[in-house]
This record gives sequence, C-alpha cells and structure tokens, in this order.
Amino acid sequence: MSLPEFQRNYFELFDLPKSFAVDQVELGRRYRKAQRETHPDRFARASAHEQRLAVQYSALINEAYVTLRQPVSRALYLLELAGISREDIDRQHPDSGFLMIQIELREKLESMQEQPEPALMLEQLLAEIGEDMIELQAEFAQQYAAGELAVGAATCVKMQYLDKLLLEAEQMEASLLEK
Amino acid sequence: MVLLNIAEPGQSPLPHQVKRSVGIDLGTTNSLVATVQGGRPNVLPDSQGGCVLPSVVNYSGDHGPVVGSAAIDLAVRYPADTLMSVKRFMGRGKADAAADATRARYRLSDSDQGLVRFLTSAGELSPVEVSADILRSLRDRAETALGGDIDGAVVTVPAYFDEAQRQATKDAATLAGLKVLRLLNEPTAAALAYGLDSSEQGVIAVYDLGGGTFDISILRLHQGVFEVLSTGGDAALGGDDLDAAVANWVLQKTGEPDLAPGEYRQLQALAREAKEQLSTQSSADLDLAGILPEGGVLSLSRNLFEELIQPLIKRTLLACRRCLRDAGLGAGVDNIVMVGGSTRVPLVRATVASFFGREPLIDIDPDQVVAIGAAIQADILVGNRPQGDLLLLDVIPLSLGIETMGGLAEKVIPRNTTIPVSRAQEFTTARDGQTALSVHIVQGEREMVADCRSLAHFELRGIPSMVAGAARIRVTFQVDADGLLEVAAREEITGSETSVTVKPSFGLTDEQITGMLQASFEYAEEDKVARQLAECRLSGWQLLEGLKSALLADGDVLLDANERQVIDAQMTALESLIEGEDAEGIRVQTEILGRLSEAFATRRMDKSVREALAGVSLDELDDEAAE
Repeated sequence: MSLPEFQRNYFELFDLPKSFAVDQVELGRRYRKAQRETHPDRFARASAHEQRLAVQYSALINEAYVTLRQPVSRALYLLELAGISREDIDRQHPDSGFLMIQIELREKLESMQEQPEPALMLEQLLAEIGEDMIELQAEFAQQYAAGELAVGAATCVKMQYLDKLLLEAEQMEASLLEK
Repeated sequence: MVLLNIAEPGQSPLPHQVKRSVGIDLGTTNSLVATVQGGRPNVLPDSQGGCVLPSVVNYSGDHGPVVGSAAIDLAVRYPADTLMSVKRFMGRGKADAAADATRARYRLSDSDQGLVRFLTSAGELSPVEVSADILRSLRDRAETALGGDIDGAVVTVPAYFDEAQRQATKDAATLAGLKVLRLLNEPTAAALAYGLDSSEQGVIAVYDLGGGTFDISILRLHQGVFEVLSTGGDAALGGDDLDAAVANWVLQKTGEPDLAPGEYRQLQALAREAKEQLSTQSSADLDLAGILPEGGVLSLSRNLFEELIQPLIKRTLLACRRCLRDAGLGAGVDNIVMVGGSTRVPLVRATVASFFGREPLIDIDPDQVVAIGAAIQADILVGNRPQGDLLLLDVIPLSLGIETMGGLAEKVIPRNTTIPVSRAQEFTTARDGQTALSVHIVQGEREMVADCRSLAHFELRGIPSMVAGAARIRVTFQVDADGLLEVAAREEITGSETSVTVKPSFGLTDEQITGMLQASFEYAEEDKVARQLAECRLSGWQLLEGLKSALLADGDVLLDANERQVIDAQMTALESLIEGEDAEGIRVQTEILGRLSEAFATRRMDKSVREALAGVSLDELDDEAAE
C-alpha cells in the first residue's frame, strides 16, 4: 500500500492561499470537486490497481479537507509546514495565568452535574469557551502572518487546551440530553 | 475472444452497452432486489408478482435450500432446519449469538474458533452461507427479469454494522456469485431514492425504524454530492419492540398466563397485525383463540396503543438529537425520509414531524425505499449514467481503535469520519531484538477494550532486530468506501515492509471464502478452470483497455520516453499472454503491469484534480450565486 506520490501540500492541493484564514465555502466546494475526480465510486469499473489508487487518493483528499476545515488542525498543519515539529509544539507551556483560567473552567465543568440548572450553565460555558477560542484564533492568525512562529506555537497549544475542554463539555451536554 | 469496451470513468458508454445492475436490500425479515430500467428504478417481483422475499431458508431436503415463503411453510415441520433472521448472526461470535440462537431454537455447532455455525440436516452452515442462498435467489430472480448475467450489485447494510458484519455481507454476496460494486448504508440508500428527484440542495434526515434496529442519518446534498454528516441509532430498538409492547399489554390484561414459545410467537404475530391495523383504524381486535385456552377477544384503541409505544418512540429522539449535534448543523433539516414498515404508525410520523418541525416524506413505500436507492447507486457505479451524476460520501459509523496498555481502547479513526480514510499510527518494540508485534483492533465508542467489539488481531512480522524502543513501526489503517479495513505496516528507520497477517475475530479468512467458492457445486471441475481463465483475462483486459485510453489522453504529457517504453513492452507481453490459456501467467503479468503503471495512474489523478480545481471560472461563480 504505497501512498500516492503526492508532493504538494494541502493548500496547493485545493489551490487555496496558504494562510490561517480559509474561505470555508470555497474549501467545501473544492473538496467536493476533487472528490468527484478521485472517489472510488468513479472507478467502480476500473482495474484493481486504479481502484486501490482511488481509495488512497480519495482518503488523502478527505484528510486534507478535515485538516484545513478545523482551526486547530489547520494551525498545527501550518506550523508543521513551517518546519516546526509536533515535539517542538508539545514543548510549549502556556503561561500560568492561562492555566489558572483553564483549571477554573474545568472545575466549573466538573461541578456542572450538581448545579440546579446544568443545561443552562453548560450552554454559558460552551459560549465562553467558544469566545476564547475565537480570540486565540485571531491571535494565531496575526502571529503566523508576522512570522512569529514560536509565539504562534504557544498560542496553538492554548487552542488545543480549549479544544479538549470543548470536547469534554460537548460530551457532558450529550450525556445530559440522554438523561 | 471477448473484446471489452471499458469506458473511461465518467464517460458515458453507448446505449447498447447498458449494463445490468441491481440494488439488493438484504433485510433481517425480508429482502428485495431492484433495478433501474429506462431511467426509472423499480423493485423486481418474483414469478407470483410478490416483491418481497422473506429472508428465510429451509435446509431439510436433499434437493438443496428452499428460500422465501416456501421455507416459511416448512418452518413448523422443520424448525431447526428453517433459518430466519440470520442477519442478526452475521459477523458475530458464538458468545454474542448464543442468546439469539436459543430464542430462535437453532442448534449451533461446537466446533470452530468462536464462529457461529448452524447445525442443519444439510450440515453445518455459517450465516454467510445462509445469506448467500438468499442472495442467490434474488440474483436468479433478477437474471430472469433482466435476461442475462448481472454485471454488478450494490448490497445494503445497516449504518450501524461494524466491520466484521460488513465483511460477512460482502462475503455472502461474493459466494452468491455477485460482483459487489459497493456496500451501501441503508439510510444513505433511502436518501438517494428521494434525492434523485430533488436536484436542489439541502439537509436530509433519514429516520429508519427497522424490525430490530433504529438508525438515524443526517446528509447534505450539495452540488450533486451527497455527504453523510453523521449517523447514529439504537441497535436494540425496533419495530419488534412495538409489537412486544402490545403483546405485553395482552399478557397483563389476561393475568400473565404461562405461554409456550410457539404460543408467544403467535401472540407476537397477532400484536403486529394489530399495530398494522391501527395505522388506518381507530381500534383493533385481538382474537386470542389458539393462544389462550379460554380464547377471548381484546379490543385495543389507537389511543391506548399510542400510550403503550410512546416511551419507545421517545427513545428514538435521543439518537436523533445526538445525530443532529454530531452533524454540527446550525439550522434544522429540509427533508425527512422515512424507512421501515413501522414508520407507517401515525404516532411515529407525528412525533418525527414535531421533532424536526416539518412533515416527513412518505411518497416511496418505506419497505422498498432502501432497495430502490441501492438500485440507483448500482446504476451509477456500473456506468449507465452520464458524468455529473450524484456522488455519495459516506462515513464510518463506529470508531476504530487499537488496544493499548491496561485494556484501554485508543481511537485511531473516530466515528463519522468520511470514508475512504487512511490514518497512520506509530508503534515500537518493548524488548531488545523483538521481531514481531501483535495489534488488537476494536470498534466502538467505549473506553475499555472489553466494552468494544473485537474486530481482528494483527500480527506484524519481520521487524528488524533492534534495541527495545528503537524500531519505529508505522501502521496504516485504511478504510475503503465499503467501510472495510485494510492494514499495512512499515518499519521507518530501515524502511523494511513488515508483513501483516489478519486474523478476523468473528469472520472468515480469505482462504475459507476461496474454499467455499470452489466447493460451491455450481460449477463442474472443467468449468472452474475455464471460469478462472475467463476471470484472469477479464481483469487483464480491464487494465489494458484502461491503460490504452489513459496513454492516448496523457501518455505524451505525463511519461518520459523511457517510462513509456517500459509500459508498452509489458502491455505487449500481457496481450500475448491473454491470447494463451495460462491463467496464472496472465494474473502475474497483470499484477506486474498494474504496479508498473501505478505512478502514471497517480499522475493522471493528480492532473485531473488540478484541472478540476484550476482557477474558478466565472460561470461557476454565477452558478454559485444562483444557488
């Protein structure tokens, strides 16, 4: 199972400018166009080799789409393209002020179950995290554009923290819904 | 020699080359086969005019299996030889299946490694073989109706089927002599059945209340592309539970009598009848003669019936809510498609309508809608439709993971990821000089491996001997468009490929399938040889014809003289081999040429993507504005 000899990066693949800001409507449109060319369904009658290739190619396009669609993975990918490894990013530690806020938010989330109106509280918390995320994204965009990659990596780590918290909050909401 | 004309992907073949394709709904209770003729999809009836084939097979005689209603008639006399609801056993282990088997009073074989095998008068049979008999019956029906061999089939599976269940379904179709173009999720098929008429765009919810399971899927239709956004459901809730609610009410009203299994089954049938009547009437009478010694008639009003089933219907909304959330939709859905006989129940329709805030679509028979959608997809895949037709992008319904320290499941591919998908994971060795590694693949959402479904164990061999922790083995998990898994591994430091041996937990190995295929008494010995030769020639020709048109289009641009020469030489070699009778020689040469031309094929795909995306032309912008 050799991977397609595909040299271009995800931005070049979709013929989009390499920047943190990505036009999501345009990305979606180009994604669907690309899938129309490569999806295995288009090769249902082709030779076994071509079919296998189509699976790999189509998988690559899916991966590229998912990576560029989500802000955190997009930021990580941009850093990776700039030569900053995952290890470098993982070594970044957010400042203590940020960590304190994170701990507070997490405590809020964990005590949610005992609150009189957990659903309402959770909604507020989700909104709060969402706002922080938008702020961080703006910061990252600026830092990346200015070539301040090390600072950008630190911002990226913060985004990962929030992303994880967001996921946990959503899981909590799902379990509340099911009660 | 047969000369095949392989149209280029997307290129429309000439009208006289219209291929015979079918869509098959392989259901728990009933199965259907449909096709597209003259641009219109329709379900193919049997010789008596019935569309539905009961998914029942009887193995009592020495005249071969009896399938369908005739098998039901034999069920009373040969209960253990008449297999029903076999779909529930597909791709499952004996431990999972034991309860279902006891309920159905089947005898299971004690041999084999945890695989389910029914003991019948015709010998031991796996669920795959029984399903193959149902599929063979549908194939015969279609070949009679269409007047010739079927070129390809799309077979549907519940969205919630795991990998093992999908593989089992595909194996059954292969065993039945069908060329499977695609395994298609049932809800996706249903959406496609409606999507054909609506060239517009929008978000569609498919509410599928089957006999034993409930599925919900959210899809978006945009630019002719159907994207499955999320899928979910409740694997332990179905129309049967509505019947059971009625049956339990009868038991309550009659002082909890002790019924024999046969009597209880009769009561269930009676309950089902009442449920069906209550879809159009305000009350139904249940005649208990033959079930209770004292007999008697109970009257059930629609109001009371609705009270009985209310909690069950409410439960489906939980899954709907979660699915909507997973889909990440800001706004609601534009259309709701109803699948499964139980969606005829007025309360189901009303509940769904009020939840989604609009009336569901019910134009297509909810029992036929899945087969019809499958037929449309088969028609597209077999190449009977011009380019620019619908494309389906489906998702993996359950997360794929691997077992890590302490029996934890680590997700490699999360659920609702669009397929095909390929993800890599790095492993290392724990001991000095370790040359093999075992990986356990599971599917499910739970944290502990014990709570997930075991799919397979992979053995990685041929790891170069190094100190512990030095080897970096990159394992690639690839899920294809059928939702089936393939694994490849590579040691990164030395670059050596490690071989992967797959041992499915509850499936048949490739060898077992090949053995069954060879054992199927459909072909005599000499036929087998001839058939093998024909198959090798066919795939050889497919490759040659595809390459020829590809070389014509892009050979000069994408290949240098050297590369071109090598490919030409190997093509000539394959051509002359195909003239001969050496099946194995053809197979090997096809493989050589296929590998050799891979780089070229990749460049072509690359080019087609680039061309499709190169600059957005103005008229397209106009299209977008008009949407």
